Parts: sequence; structure tokens; C-alpha cells
Amino acid sequence: MENEDVWVIVPTYNEAKVVRGVIEALRVHFPHVVAVDDGSVDGSALEILAGGARLVRHPINMGAGAALQTGVDFALLDPGARYFVTFDADGQHRVDDAVAMVEHIRNHDIDVLLGSRFLGSAVNMKQSRKLLLLAARWFEKASSGIYLTDAHNGLRVFSRTFAEVLRMRMADMAWASEFLGRIADSKLPYAEFPVTVDYTEYSQAKGQHSINSVNIAVDIVVNRVLRGHR
Amino acid sequence: MPWIKIVLIASSLAVLVGVFRHRQRVELRAGSRLLALLLGALAVASIADPDIPQRVASVVGVTRGTDLILYVLVVVFVLTSLGLYFRVRESDRRLQDLARVIAINQAVLDGGAPGGAARLSPTTQEGTRSDTTARVPGS
Repeated sequence: MENEDVWVIVPTYNEAKVVRGVIEALRVHFPHVVAVDDGSVDGSALEILAGGARLVRHPINMGAGAALQTGVDFALLDPGARYFVTFDADGQHRVDDAVAMVEHIRNHDIDVLLGSRFLGSAVNMKQSRKLLLLAARWFEKASSGIYLTDAHNGLRVFSRTFAEVLRMRMADMAWASEFLGRIADSKLPYAEFPVTVDYTEYSQAKGQHSINSVNIAVDIVVNRVLRGHR
Repeated sequence: MPWIKIVLIASSLAVLVGVFRHRQRVELRAGSRLLALLLGALAVASIADPDIPQRVASVVGVTRGTDLILYVLVVVFVLTSLGLYFRVRESDRRLQDLARVIAINQAVLDGGAPGGAARLSPTTQEGTRSDTTARVPGS
């Protein structure tokens, strides 16, 4: 079967309505899907199992970044895993994009491939969200040195080499920035790939409030300035 | 505002950042313990003789002894808050590592190692649980 060496990681928090459909669509092309249930209280776990994914269940809610890291750690236990895909559980990404990205990373000397809705398209994106994401570009450039057209896209593909150095520690939503910081630190080659993001009514209702970007920015700055040695 | 104040503010911020960047250094931890002991001793002394804070205040150029105590209190409060912030953050991270290991181990117990037993070489198929389960990083 195709993509036998790929693991798709789906961080899930209270997505019982949609997660099964997302996983079933993924399973058509990817035999290995792991959904990390980040302490959901709505029966997401049962939907994950019904969809045919491996389930890893956090005993407590720890945030999207922690869920992603758990999925990566789990997939790394499979010695045959060569590529890792992160895919949001709310149905905003398209499986075809993930397939094309895996194909691309196989054929190019790249360790991290990041989806970009600005190179591709975003269906029904609000103007306010667009402005915020444009501001995020410059913030990420200033804090990590990595310039991307779309700094906060949930669809990513990366190699085992990068997965092994990922080790994300930020519990909160600031993990997206931490991810970029890891790319910069690892000095591995990265690229962007055009994808489509569907802003459904469901994903908009569930998504981040824009004001939360203030919390994220402060967390990142504090973390950078007072990094400290362990 | 006289320029000296700007210099003083900037340098105290720099000291604060420096202290917290190197907070794991043993000299700093020893220093903070000594500082705490010193403050305790000062507190006892100024209860015994309430004039002491006043005399210290006039030496360092502060009008009243109570003002001096307020300033010291602010400094101690800021240091304490930041210290607690980092301590809480550190224990959150440990909790996260622990919860992650529990979650992954449970998943492996329930459904086997990711990729299935077919991926494991024949020599490692027996009694491999310790090889395929996760460990707390750094342990």
C-alpha cells in the first residue's frame, strides 16, 4: 500500500462531530493515522477508534502543541516511519493536499514542508483573520528568523530527522512559533507548499479567537528573553 | 527626568533578566538564600529597634524608613513572583512529560506498538515492551 512509511498525526480536542470523517478520508491514502485525544469530554475518543485511527489519549488536557508532540513521539516508536504529517481534526485541510505534500517531500531534498493558504487558497476566510496572519508573518520573522507566507498553518509534513529534534515544550498555542524556532535551530532545509484551507462554519466556531494572539505573542517574548538554562 | 534614572532603570532591568537567565547557577541560589536570611535578620532587628529602618533610610537618601521598607518589599515581591512563575512552568512541563508517557504506554498496551509487530525484527518480538514504550525524557 502507498505511504506505508508515513504517519499522520491528528491532534483532537472535542471534535466528536467531525473527527471520524476526517480520519476516514485520511485512511484512504494513509494506512497509519494516530489521533491524539487531548482530554476531550465529548466522546471524540470513540469517534477516533470508529474512524480506524490509533488512539493516544491524554489523561489531562495539555494543549494542541503537547498533543502534536505526543503524536510524534508515538509515531517515532515505529522504526518504519519516515515521514510525519500533521493534520487538523476540524476538517479545514484537504487530504489531497497532504498526499501532494508527501509526494513533494519524497522527491526533494527538504526536511520540513509547510502548507500555505496564501500560496494556495483560503475559502471563506474573514478579512480580520487575514490581517492577523499577515501580522504573524512579521512577528515570526522577527522572533525565529524564518519567513513564511503562512506561519500558522496546521498542515505540515516533515522527515524523521526533524521529528527526532522537535521536542516542543510550550504548552499553549505558542507551539506554532516554537515549531518554526525548531526549524531555525535545526538548520534543516524547509519549504512552503500551496494548500487550500476551508473555513467552514464549524471550524470558525471552534477556531482560535484572534485576541488570543496577544497571549501567544507575550508567551513567546517572555520565553525568548528569559530562556534560562536547564 | 534626569538621565541617571534612565541608566538606573535600564541596568536594574538588565540585572533582573540576567538573574533569571542564569537562575540555575548554584551561586545565585546560594545568594538568594543568604539574601532571605539577611532580610529575616533585618526584620527582627527593626522590630527590636524601630529606628534602624529610619537610620538606614537617611543613609541611602530615602525620606522615611517606611518608604525604604516599601521599596525593598516591591523588589522582593517581583523576584518572588518571577521565581514562582518559572517554578510553576517547570513543573507543568514535567507533568506534561509524565502524562505523555502514560498516554503513549496505554496506547501501546491497548493496540500494540505503532506499525504493528510485523515491523519488529524477530529477535525483538519477545518481551519488547520496554523497548517500544515511551520513557520520561531525561530519566
